[in-house]
Amino acid sequence: MKISASDNMLKRFRHEFIILAIIVALSIIIGSINSQFYSIGNIYSLLKSTVIMGLFALGSFLVLVSGDIDISFTAIGAFCMYVTSKLVLLIIPGAGIVVIMLVAGLIGILLGFINAVFISLLKMPGLIVTLGTGSMIRGFLLTFIGVRIINKLPDSMIAFSKITFLHKAQANGHIVGLSIGFVVFIAFAILIYLILKYTVTGRAVYALGGDRVATARVGFNITKVQFFIYGTVGFLSGLAGVTHSSFMRNGNPFDLVGTELSVIAAVVLGGTSITGGKGSVFGAVLGVFLLVLINNSLIMVGIPSYWQRAVVGIIILLSTGSVALQERRSQGV
Amino acid sequence: MKKFLLLVLVLATMLGTFAFANGSKDAASSADEGYTIATVVKIDGIAWFDRMRDGVKKFGEDTGNDVWLVGPAKADAAEQVGIIEDLIAQGVDAICVVPFDVEAVEPVLKKAMDAGIVVICHEASAIKNADYDIEAFDNVAYGAHLMDNLAAEMGGKGEYATFVGSLTSLSHNEWIDGGHAQQIAKYPDMVLVSEKNETYDDQNKAYEKMKEVMAAYPNLAGIQTCAMATSPGAGLAIQEAGLQDQINTVGTSLASVCEPYLRDGSLDMIGYWDPADAGYIMNQIAIEVLEGRKIADGADLGVKGYDSIIVSPDKPNLLYGAAWVDVTLDNIEANLF
Repeated sequence: MKISASDNMLKRFRHEFIILAIIVALSIIIGSINSQFYSIGNIYSLLKSTVIMGLFALGSFLVLVSGDIDISFTAIGAFCMYVTSKLVLLIIPGAGIVVIMLVAGLIGILLGFINAVFISLLKMPGLIVTLGTGSMIRGFLLTFIGVRIINKLPDSMIAFSKITFLHKAQANGHIVGLSIGFVVFIAFAILIYLILKYTVTGRAVYALGGDRVATARVGFNITKVQFFIYGTVGFLSGLAGVTHSSFMRNGNPFDLVGTELSVIAAVVLGGTSITGGKGSVFGAVLGVFLLVLINNSLIMVGIPSYWQRAVVGIIILLSTGSVALQERRSQGV
Repeated sequence: MKKFLLLVLVLATMLGTFAFANGSKDAASSADEGYTIATVVKIDGIAWFDRMRDGVKKFGEDTGNDVWLVGPAKADAAEQVGIIEDLIAQGVDAICVVPFDVEAVEPVLKKAMDAGIVVICHEASAIKNADYDIEAFDNVAYGAHLMDNLAAEMGGKGEYATFVGSLTSLSHNEWIDGGHAQQIAKYPDMVLVSEKNETYDDQNKAYEKMKEVMAAYPNLAGIQTCAMATSPGAGLAIQEAGLQDQINTVGTSLASVCEPYLRDGSLDMIGYWDPADAGYIMNQIAIEVLEGRKIADGADLGVKGYDSIIVSPDKPNLLYGAAWVDVTLDNIEANLF
């Protein structure tokens, strides 16, 4: 039987289409209950809310595709954010935001390499390694570097949080704009997509998740690929950390840690196989959108505070359930 | 070489033994001189409980007892219970607790009391397993007091929303319920549109929820908040939306955390009680109990705001001070720490 191109598309991106459909359906339901949902201010605000989780999710996605799990990335993010803020304030308080992000990213890469050493050279499972390194990095941060919230961040970090574009006037006359952070997130999503699709290392990430032994026999250098993966996770985490503190306008070393499971949930929700080898950047991004939408729209619908956590759980179960069901049906089981 | 190594090893072991012997002797002698009292807070490392640590330290310096403050690295009921378990095992004389979740600590506090440890709580007026719970003020009266301020800012009319740190945080719920009851009784033209949004003592959560509440209720004219991190989070959301003039705020927080937002009008008024005094007074009460004294109505515990203690008529282990402080732009300088 011949399969047409569009059929093929639909099949390959079936999962993404379902998630997209759920997002659209939820938006219509929420919007019909409270029309303020469609206000430009709210949409910009939702998009801004995807940035931190999104940057983390891109890294987490890479690891999941390669068939492993990393739960240390939020600790890395908090570490990079706090250490970079302190360093910059101490040495070059006038540094620009790009320099600050590069410093944070570099620290992140180094921390990611620690994970890579254990996972790649010592062949330990990622979950165990990152459980250890995550707690180690956080402990080191809180014990040796500080627990005080930094209330006065470098000026360029505050300025970064105020950069917006696509300005529109709201009903009350106040001008709102889309945060630059969203562009950063989408730019990195595209970059990761391109790397995965068009570079040998990128293809090797998928291959590694599919079948490790075969990947090695074909001649890929698995060590190199894994250093690439965990280095990238570290870099993105550093970026996410700095962006987070910039958005909050303070550097709180206690922030971020604790959100890692939501991030992984978003990536899995987006169709990335938890056992590796399968998944798309597009799906991961959609998963983040869906989770942010669920988490940030319940007040809008008027669901009482007491019910919100229960409702979040139900929606996640229903979304993953419908996706799983669809997949099973398509396999004819 | 081997012999040398062996010698070093033996010496090291002996030194170690001496050190241990010394250590245990120290602990024993200090128990004779004073009491060991641990203060367990909801979360360590935030300005509120840093300030409380100052009060606990001062108590130690004033009285010579061995006192310290600990708390989980994140607001988590289970971690707090774990810390209290450890303290019971260490055999301290008294534990002062600011519970994250009252229900969650009841069993472990019972265990502490059964072990003969004195238990003093703060921000937990419903607690059963404690010798005393000391509140800086009657929570319902404080909530009503904040509402009076909010109503004055709002001109007695308009939509308002409320926030709590956690739905299980009793004092937060009492402030908000007290405020709500006051609004119903005295300000019929005000409408509560979004009730008790949870912020988990997390600034980012508070920021996100405030943005959503503002989007959902474009006519929102006021908010009443509880947890310390909620005010700056909400203030940032108000500032970004440019709604300083439309939205009036009252909340419980610290001036230093809210300073930029109080200065530009994103936040209008915060109330607080000095956590240093609360920490000091909890330890003070622990000593009173350890020495077998009861706290009577009208007792003077020697700290401002706690100089005429009110004993709750319904619950003999519940004590109130009258220690609230209002902060606005006018008196912010005096309250920065």
